[in-house]
Amino acid sequence: MRGTTPGSLGGVSARKSERILNLTICLLMARRFVEREQIRTLVEGYQGLSQATFERTFERDKDELRALGVPVETGSNNPLFPDEVGYRIRRRDFELPPLEFDAGELAALGVASGVWDSARLAERATQAVAKLRASGLDPDASRVAAFAPSVAAHEPGFEVLWQATLEQRPVAFRYRSRPRVVEPWRLTSRTGAWYLIGLDRTRGEGRSFKLSRLESEARFAGDPGTIALPDPDVVAAHLASLEARRDAPALVAVREGAAGDLIRFAEPADARVPEGYRAWRVELGRDAAGDLAWYGADVLPLDPPELVAAVRAHLEAVAAWA
Amino acid sequence: MGMTSAAQVTRLLALVPYLQAHPDADLAATAATFGVSTRQLVADLNVLWFCGLPGGLPGDLIEVDMDALDAGRIRLSNAEFLARPLRFTMEEATSLAVALRALEEMADAELAGSVRSARAKLESLFGGAERIDVSVSAGEENVRGRLAEAIEAGVAVELMYHGASRGSVTQPVVDPVQLATRDGYGYLVAWAPERDGWRTYRLDRIGGVRVTDQPVGEHGEAPALASGWLDERPDAARVTLDLTAAGRWIVEYHPTVSVERLPGQVWRVELLVADPAWLRRLLLRLGPAVVRVDPPEAATSAVDAAREALALLRA
Repeated sequence: MRGTTPGSLGGVSARKSERILNLTICLLMARRFVEREQIRTLVEGYQGLSQATFERTFERDKDELRALGVPVETGSNNPLFPDEVGYRIRRRDFELPPLEFDAGELAALGVASGVWDSARLAERATQAVAKLRASGLDPDASRVAAFAPSVAAHEPGFEVLWQATLEQRPVAFRYRSRPRVVEPWRLTSRTGAWYLIGLDRTRGEGRSFKLSRLESEARFAGDPGTIALPDPDVVAAHLASLEARRDAPALVAVREGAAGDLIRFAEPADARVPEGYRAWRVELGRDAAGDLAWYGADVLPLDPPELVAAVRAHLEAVAAWA
Repeated sequence: MGMTSAAQVTRLLALVPYLQAHPDADLAATAATFGVSTRQLVADLNVLWFCGLPGGLPGDLIEVDMDALDAGRIRLSNAEFLARPLRFTMEEATSLAVALRALEEMADAELAGSVRSARAKLESLFGGAERIDVSVSAGEENVRGRLAEAIEAGVAVELMYHGASRGSVTQPVVDPVQLATRDGYGYLVAWAPERDGWRTYRLDRIGGVRVTDQPVGEHGEAPALASGWLDERPDAARVTLDLTAAGRWIVEYHPTVSVERLPGQVWRVELLVADPAWLRRLLLRLGPAVVRVDPPEAATSAVDAAREALALLRA
């Protein structure tokens, strides 16, 4: 006989794990549906429980297994008595199908498992790679030791919106002082911040929401698979509007050797410039005055005149501080 | 300790096939693979000791060699009925698929190919991952390729670097160790001998890389980029800015010590400033959105730069 209860880390939760694992093995090995009474006799953790306690415990265990992704099937062995319900787990639905990843792909998966800076997703990714290893596929991370990207997801609404986007179910949250119901189309991370793009049902139009600005918890507001996705162009247009737009042409004077990042993709131009400066044609974004003021005297606007006026006003505000 | 039964069952369902695919596994290495302590792993094995085929006869139960375990080795047998792990859940598969998207943006040409094909295989299991994406600004693929090559070979590189806070090109020679990300930007983490310290270089500002034949030195482990070490530099000064609504965006782009809302739509933001040139540029960009700078001297160089630019504009 094996000893009694396991050691100090054991106790109630260890006995529960043991019971659930034994239930899994019992249902996985059965060729037919196993009825409740049989389960009660066969699985050690259920023996000795009162009828009511057994029913309650078994229901909870079964729900827990399903939540873990174990496909517990319900059915009857007897077509004449369909009320005699039993349970089984089909091996082909339970087991990870044979996956073929070559060494390079496995190395990539190994790096990917360490990318998440979010407790829940990091745990999921670790579990997924543990399953790959369990099927004999071991990533060799030393092949790609140079690469260590990370993706943070600390916004409070993130987990609900992630799941809702995958499962195509509507969500509800407060944003800009209004309660909203949103059909999620796309969840996207730009310069380290997460955005949800979706249909705002309250206003009947598509828009983007910055997750860090949600004013309440997010919660599900409908069942999975109950929303339709728009034309991909619609999503693409919203994604494009999240990018810092740089499409306003301007002529600037840049001090020799300075502002390399601004002129890296720019064209040289001919214009009258101060001594030690050169003229360049660049494309600027929405806050062009602030973007140019950033460079101080290293970059001077030449054209268009509205830009010159805007930069001058901006710099005058700074000069007035002293 | 937060170790729920659900997490333990998930782990056990992977552990049993893992230990059969890896006979005589090392206890510590296995614990690391599953992201738990060795103590927890031993507790897991104790649970398995009571599991097996229905009936509970000694021959039906999973065997764990307890003598080997005392020596730090795990030998598990009599568990052929759990030879393969449980299939992926949708969340598991998509957590990897989305992580691969982030990696693809950082990869060199060789790795990017593997990343794409691995992702396609994962996405074939579950739809939907394509609806979640991560964009990382990580410069040019050939720059990343050169850096990865130098890291693998353990040699120094000379960078052509367009520094943000100096606005000009520098050519530092550094010992590269890692390509990492922070806030959606890719960085090279490297030891800079001329500064005698760890430095980060934004990949999209590296215009060129020359791989040298000079072996890198031993500098210990680089600090993790995501842990905010940029903010913990001992030479950093505290500066407080009062901002109008137009300047509030900096809170989302720069690490702050504190943010406080004052009456009249004004926000008081406390920053740690390691590089005075960076503060000068930030103040120049904010311009009219700044109501007050404390200490006032922190604004002096921005004011000087604005005056110089205005004089040139008037000329």
